[in-house]
Amino acid sequence: MTAFEIDARQVPFNNGDNILKAALNAGVEIPHFCYHHALGSLGACRLCAVEVKPEQPEQRPRVVMACMEPARAGLKVSVAAPAALRARQGVIEFLMTNHPHDCPVCDEGGECHLQDMTVACGPPYRRYRGRKRTFINQDLGPLVHHEMNRCITCYRCTRYYQQYALGTDLGAMRLRNEVYFGRFQDGPLESPFAGNLVEVCPTGVFTDKVFRSRFARVWDLDTAPSICPHCSVGCNTLPGARLGTLRRVRNRDHAELNRWFLCDRGRFGHQYTEHPERPWQARVRGQTVNYSDALGAALDQLQRAGAAVAGVGSPREDLESNALLQRLIIRHGGFFAAFTDPGIEAATAHAVRYINRMGTPTLAAMEHADAILVAGELTAVAPMMDLGVRQASRNKAKVGVIHHVADPLATLADYDIRLAPRQTSVALKRLQGMIATTAEQSSGDEHGLAQLAATLMHAQHPLLIGVVETLGAYGVAALAKLAQSLGGQAALAYALPGPNAYGAAIVNEDGATQKVLEAVETGKVRCLVVTAADPLGDTRTGWRWREAVGRLDSLIVMDCVDSATVRAADILIPTAAWAERSGYFINYEGRVQCFDRVFERDKPLPASVAVIADLANALDLGAGEPRVAIADLLPGIALPLAGEPGIRLTPRVRLDVPPPIESVAGATGHWQVGLASWYGDDPLADHAAALSSLAPASTATIAPDTARIAELATDARVMLRGPAGSLPLPLCIDANVAEDTVALPRSAMCQIGVGHGGYVELEAMP
Amino acid sequence: MEVVLTPRITPAGPLGLEAYRVAGGYTSLEAAFDLKPDGVIDVVEAAQLRGRGGAGFPCGLKWRLRGSDAPKPRYLICNLDESEPGTFKDRVLLYGDPHQLVESMIIAAYALQVQRAFIFVRGEYAQGASGLTTAIAEAEHAGLLGDNIAGSGFDLRLEVHVSAGRYICGEESALVNALEGRRPNPRPRMPRISAQGLWGQPTTVNNVETLVNVPHILRNGAEWFRNLGIHGGTGPKLYGISGKVDRPCLVERSMGSTARELIYEHAGGPQAQRQIIGFMPGGASTPFLGPDQLDVVMDFEAVAQAGSRLGTGAIIVLDDLSCPVAVVLNLMQFFARESCGFCTPCRDGLPYAAQILSDIVAGRGHVGDLLLLEELCEKIAPYSFCAFAPGATMPLQSSLRVFRDHFEQHLAEGGCPYANRGQRP
Amino acid sequence: MAEQPNQNDIHPTERIKKDRAAIVEVMMELQAKRGFLDDQDVIEAARRTGLSPTEVEELASFYTLIYRRPVGRRVLLVCDSVCCAMNGSERLLNTLERRLGIALGEVSRDGAVTVLPSICLGLCDRAPAALLNGEALGPLDDARLDALLLELKRSR
Ligand SMILES: Cc1cc2nc3c(=O)[nH]c(=O)nc-3n(C[C@H](O)[C@H](O)[C@H](O)COP(=O)(O)O)c2cc1C
Ligand code: SF4
Ligand code: FES
Repeated sequence: MTAFEIDARQVPFNNGDNILKAALNAGVEIPHFCYHHALGSLGACRLCAVEVKPEQPEQRPRVVMACMEPARAGLKVSVAAPAALRARQGVIEFLMTNHPHDCPVCDEGGECHLQDMTVACGPPYRRYRGRKRTFINQDLGPLVHHEMNRCITCYRCTRYYQQYALGTDLGAMRLRNEVYFGRFQDGPLESPFAGNLVEVCPTGVFTDKVFRSRFARVWDLDTAPSICPHCSVGCNTLPGARLGTLRRVRNRDHAELNRWFLCDRGRFGHQYTEHPERPWQARVRGQTVNYSDALGAALDQLQRAGAAVAGVGSPREDLESNALLQRLIIRHGGFFAAFTDPGIEAATAHAVRYINRMGTPTLAAMEHADAILVAGELTAVAPMMDLGVRQASRNKAKVGVIHHVADPLATLADYDIRLAPRQTSVALKRLQGMIATTAEQSSGDEHGLAQLAATLMHAQHPLLIGVVETLGAYGVAALAKLAQSLGGQAALAYALPGPNAYGAAIVNEDGATQKVLEAVETGKVRCLVVTAADPLGDTRTGWRWREAVGRLDSLIVMDCVDSATVRAADILIPTAAWAERSGYFINYEGRVQCFDRVFERDKPLPASVAVIADLANALDLGAGEPRVAIADLLPGIALPLAGEPGIRLTPRVRLDVPPPIESVAGATGHWQVGLASWYGDDPLADHAAALSSLAPASTATIAPDTARIAELATDARVMLRGPAGSLPLPLCIDANVAEDTVALPRSAMCQIGVGHGGYVELEAMP
Repeated sequence: MEVVLTPRITPAGPLGLEAYRVAGGYTSLEAAFDLKPDGVIDVVEAAQLRGRGGAGFPCGLKWRLRGSDAPKPRYLICNLDESEPGTFKDRVLLYGDPHQLVESMIIAAYALQVQRAFIFVRGEYAQGASGLTTAIAEAEHAGLLGDNIAGSGFDLRLEVHVSAGRYICGEESALVNALEGRRPNPRPRMPRISAQGLWGQPTTVNNVETLVNVPHILRNGAEWFRNLGIHGGTGPKLYGISGKVDRPCLVERSMGSTARELIYEHAGGPQAQRQIIGFMPGGASTPFLGPDQLDVVMDFEAVAQAGSRLGTGAIIVLDDLSCPVAVVLNLMQFFARESCGFCTPCRDGLPYAAQILSDIVAGRGHVGDLLLLEELCEKIAPYSFCAFAPGATMPLQSSLRVFRDHFEQHLAEGGCPYANRGQRP
Repeated sequence: MAEQPNQNDIHPTERIKKDRAAIVEVMMELQAKRGFLDDQDVIEAARRTGLSPTEVEELASFYTLIYRRPVGRRVLLVCDSVCCAMNGSERLLNTLERRLGIALGEVSRDGAVTVLPSICLGLCDRAPAALLNGEALGPLDDARLDALLLELKRSR
């Protein structure tokens, strides 16, 4: 690596770097506004003026924009030169002609890049005598607040929104000193990544509206390094709390994962911690009790049940709680499962095994793929993986999406293959066939698949991403097979169902979920302990759980959000939300990450692991130490601390499990159900008021052709019938849905008792 | 001087294809096809034709630098966005003789081996654009455009783009963005549009007046062309003379004619009893010259030596009834209004300067304002993203010199002396 | 005008299905109906080009000759740049406002006209000049102004 000089400091650079980029990477500050690591140089703000010393003595020094000037070996640059200083002061003075100077009431105050630059560069006076131009703000929805008068026209917002996140509903309007950043009309920002505007904007134009409703100055916030609990990506976050409540979540840089950004679910989902229905009080059979009474009641039940106990952990529960509950239950002689749906368990277990065997790319690495196949709705399940795919797409990767609806990624897909849920794994097998035997003929209507196969085959770095929840075990295996037939270059990743789904999978024994469910159903279990899971609210098996729990003597539930299971609990022990405790998650890559406790409430709730440890100690089962439980699970791993980049479990070859056989057992009805999910859709974020106010309406959505054949009219209401009952829903006819499919929201699926890919009857209501 | 570019332009309106052919039109195509593309460029280079869009870059060199091996597809764009105040030469060429432009585009496209060319016309000239579209249709019909033009094997599609206003669209990289349907902000200097312009492909942009010289060069030779100029200039030049003159007009004269000749002989000089107090030699973005510089030779080097720029050759004359401070304010308001808003110095610096000027004109000037204006110019022009802001500050900066006493008088008398005398224009 | 494949850093959806380059033409065509673009027209322009309404607005709001508010049956652009200003355009604009009883940018009561100031119209040889629906007018003196106002009044 070669170097150049900035004010007598040697600054190394990579080929293609500009002066500013190299300087910032080396920790040398050059004032700037429009440059941003993720967005690159624009050359619009003109603040990064520096002086370049002449190479020939007779030449004069030049003032250049550091962000536009290529770094060259031997270059002598001065940030401090008077000419550069003057140029920067000019820029600041110009920007300040219209700035409202409303720092005392501005949410950005204290972490405002504009404030910092103004103080750093000067000038310390104001000379402009004219009136300031003013703007009318827009209502951009419940998440982001708009205050246009503070704008300094650095174009970061639209560059981020349009070019990076590939959104189309925020733009730069008008011209001269009236350039306006906003939407065509008032209305919520449509991008699932809109919240990043809050951090991308160097001043207070876009601020966090949720934070704003309970604002605190940045210097008053309690913070600690944390991990996002809303999906399996495991983005690094910096939550901020004040006076015992969580106020906001910001991005925390992780070089291989989220880097500069977060999705809106990660940023705004934290409001579940303040949901009015959040369980705060322990309860025993409807009576509010204190913690030790609840614990006593639970102990009593466990002891009474003897070995007839079962435990259910969760992919959204941390590693130590899962591990400890498993030890407790097993030592007690009972059954433990970390999942509530045997289908999801099998699919997750397979995915984890394939990841273990074949490795998986980091989020940053995904951006370098040149052909990507996504099976399932990534935006809804692992939004930041979607953002990674968007980056690859910007880098000219070809993108294929196989899903039953046109999801957000489909709009930029080169191959948008829309199939009924059960057709997905068939298509994956077809693709594999096409690749394995190039000679295999494709029929006319497989044209898209054939092109996709060719694209994947000819790519240098093909990447396959599967959404585990909707693929099912069979689809998971089909995707892995496809990756194998693409050869060594192919990368494989799965979006797992929960922040710690990987951890749950390694705690869980194969088939455990089925065993637990059947044991409860057949009355073999007297006492069931559930932590951070909602078996009764499950789409496919919820109805079975709902019937089965009637046979129990007691249902003991620990959770930090309200749910069907919480409401059905005989003994409820509310637990701390993730920011109120510390713990470990294992993300989709098999990366063990630690999150720290950010704050303590006035009346702190116990972490679930503490409750389990209390139970275990009282039962004297010797299962009490969470660290021991983890150490047994992950032998030889030195657990990372919070704030560290985490430790990736090195691939451990496990036995090759036979690929699952897809079954259609129990299929009744003619319509295949597809899960209609959206980016705010997870068990925690469902309870975040602002975010969930954006949830799409609950409808049964079908394709126009299908509607015509079934003689259904646009404004009809339909009655859906499934194994667990029937439900009326308004009909929505939408060409974005695959034929013969009815797309339903999770809650509707749960009520009628059908999972993704299951079958229902549907008929028009009079 | 022999009138070359404008003889067919009459109040009766433009010539149709047949009449244009009778007047000798489209005969240069044959000469071009005989010469082969590089040969055409050689002749244009030998003719020392310099760009008429404002910067005076040698046309032949621009074409040569694009390179005959530039990746395909490549594009040619005729810049007919003419919006520089004082400038109306391109309008006359468009409305008066569209076939001449079509013929020029065919030859330029041939020289550059371009198969798709555009004429970018400012929206205010929509009527002229429709005449041009008719001319193109006639030419297509006659086999002068389209596939295998006149049996030469050369194909060309020529399209008219009618824009929707804004001065900045004339800046060539902003123009390329506009043509792509993007916001017409200028692009960074690198990569050059000659390498990566329209849709990322090699693109050549030329002003209309530059292009219409080309057929005549091919018909009559480089030497003939060079000799049309005087005082060291080459070729003919369309000079506009407007502002406070008796008969504002457009004339075609030898490149190198003097400002005095143009103003006095062709535009009738100042109105009766009036005196010239200064002029801009090349449109609103060129520095002012004083009455003592009327003998300046209106060619690129000579005007530059006199401290200004030839620009578009549009002379704007100020007489002793026009308050120069008010004129400069008008100019700055123009530039502030037309700034695309991309970079800070231009977007926020120009309105700042305009604000001070309006204070001065309104009698609210401060003692240090002239120094402040100087300082603003120094903080705007060198650090702006494109050439718009330097062009905007040049008249201001020069006016502080040329019209110093007027500025001082404004400050001293607490307002515009012209207005105070009831004479404000 | 159809877009070519391009190499720049461009929105991936654009590689696939946008016809951005036609946007000015499309907006002008829609504007020809009633003289200006209302929100529905912006949405329609978006539909025709594959852009979003916001992306259309980014352009509509940039250009001088795209009107996003109602205008009269005819639009009178009065040049206020340097040559016309030296020759009395300010007075012209004031007179027009007074005699039509409207401010610049408003629609006259009979719906006949909207007067807008304009940058240099390239009619400096006819200063002070104006453009009435693309028709060049100038030099505008008091007599010509009277005739113009009469014509505007008569036009239906
Ligand atoms: C702000 C600005 C406005 C311009 N407007 C025009 C214009 O209206 N017409 C034009 O031909 N060139 C204009 N130019 C110059 C063009 O950028 C470009 O240099 C020219 O079209 C090249 O043509 P030529 O080499 O034939 O002169 C403008 C430049 C700037 C910086
Ligand atoms: S809104 Fe913020 S990000 Fe956008 S241009 Fe203004 S200051 Fe920059
Ligand atoms: S950071 Fe260089 S111009 Fe903005």
